[in-house]
Amino acid sequence: MARAATLGGRLDTLVFGACIVVALVLSALPDQMREPVAGALRRTIVAPLVGLQRGAERWRAAWLESERQTLQRDSVGMQKTRVQALEVENDRLRRLLGLGNRLAWGFVPAEALHTEGRTEDVVTTLTLTAGRLAGVAQYSPVVAPEGVVGLVQTVDSRLSIAILYSHPDFRVSAMSADGAAFGIVYPHMDVTGGRLSERYLLELRNVPFRNELKIGTHIFSSGVGGVWPRGVLIGTVVGEVPEPESWSRTYLVRPAVNPAHVTSVMILMPQRAQQGVGSVWMGAPEPVPAAKAAPVIGTRRDSARGDSARDSTRRDTVRPDTTPRRP
Amino acid sequence: MKSSLAIRTAAACAILIVMHYTLRPLLGWRSSIDFLLIALVFGSVRTRPASAAVYGLVLGLAADSLALGAFGAGALAATIVGFSASWLKAVFFADNFALNTIFLFAGKWLFDLVYMLMARRMHGVEMLVQLVLWTPLAALVTALAGVVIIALLRPVYQEKAA
Repeated sequence: MARAATLGGRLDTLVFGACIVVALVLSALPDQMREPVAGALRRTIVAPLVGLQRGAERWRAAWLESERQTLQRDSVGMQKTRVQALEVENDRLRRLLGLGNRLAWGFVPAEALHTEGRTEDVVTTLTLTAGRLAGVAQYSPVVAPEGVVGLVQTVDSRLSIAILYSHPDFRVSAMSADGAAFGIVYPHMDVTGGRLSERYLLELRNVPFRNELKIGTHIFSSGVGGVWPRGVLIGTVVGEVPEPESWSRTYLVRPAVNPAHVTSVMILMPQRAQQGVGSVWMGAPEPVPAAKAAPVIGTRRDSARGDSARDSTRRDTVRPDTTPRRP
Repeated sequence: MKSSLAIRTAAACAILIVMHYTLRPLLGWRSSIDFLLIALVFGSVRTRPASAAVYGLVLGLAADSLALGAFGAGALAATIVGFSASWLKAVFFADNFALNTIFLFAGKWLFDLVYMLMARRMHGVEMLVQLVLWTPLAALVTALAGVVIIALLRPVYQEKAA
């Protein structure tokens, strides 16, 4: 048994040694003598393996090419989106220039910086890059080429903070385009959580019952109160809010200005607001709809208001800012 | 080794060799899995040292036939690794996760070392970087892949208890 094991061990060593010698001899052979051996192996046992490798490398090349094409497509898509954004911005700036030409004097141009918040938050304030040094005063109207944006609330030397029309404290006295119906515009606060886009709609309240407004009627600032000049476009009537047992009508108004598109604005200086803006917005092109939501008309919970008479004569001003400012 | 077990081992080795020429190019890693080495170690530890040496020689020559200017280097390296694996397996006589990992890691590193010395393609710092950085990485990847494959193949090559 032990002898057999010894013999086996010797045979193993012998074969191993022979294999080593063969390998060394093959590696030491000159190229012209090695190549026939290698070629014979390539043509016989290695040939199917080489075929498999070729197929695998083609698959990999195809996969890499597909990845490269996907990257190219994505890059083109991104560039297209950037171009579209630039076109929108260019269009806005052109319209702002047009507004500047039409206003001629009494305004301060400013960039509008959106305060970042949670995605579901309603934007209610804007930071403007013009302040006291540029002539901005508290309660200066903030406008865009499309119409009403908001009102300056706080003024620093180089910055100011404005409330948007979506802010709970925003008010503006308004009238229909033909000047037949008057009311006060408020933000539309009565919105359930699932329809947050409707929070950007406005309400034209305290319209006398006899004045029925058709859907699509443009609503302008009336100039009553002295803060807003007469004739700045606020929005378009999209429906009436049913109010049982009320002596006045309330309409839902789609704002002319989309807050998401507000990047550059004009701040009207107090002298200009007092002297009026003429027909700058009266002949303006159709505004871009602000809220994409369908004009779903909700039933007001606070319909039985007893202060409608007082509200109708209330001025277009803001209440003292009692809400904490979002950082 | 029983003939049925030998056939199953040969089939497993054939699958691993095919994977070397299909899966490896598909992955295209810098430190790729050396399925040939896994096939070599897997087959060698289940045969006598003499058979393992011949198996290594044939496998090495087949691989060398595609490598211009290094014919014989891979054959020598594979012969040494195959014989060593078979001899060491006979000495240690154990089949566990750690031992397989060490066999594969050391086998790959030894193979690359012998191949580089024989092929004489690298010198100095380049060779040092290859031996200290890339070869251990490739050996690690090969060892990890190898133990996973061996674990998966365990039902195939293990003899049922009588």
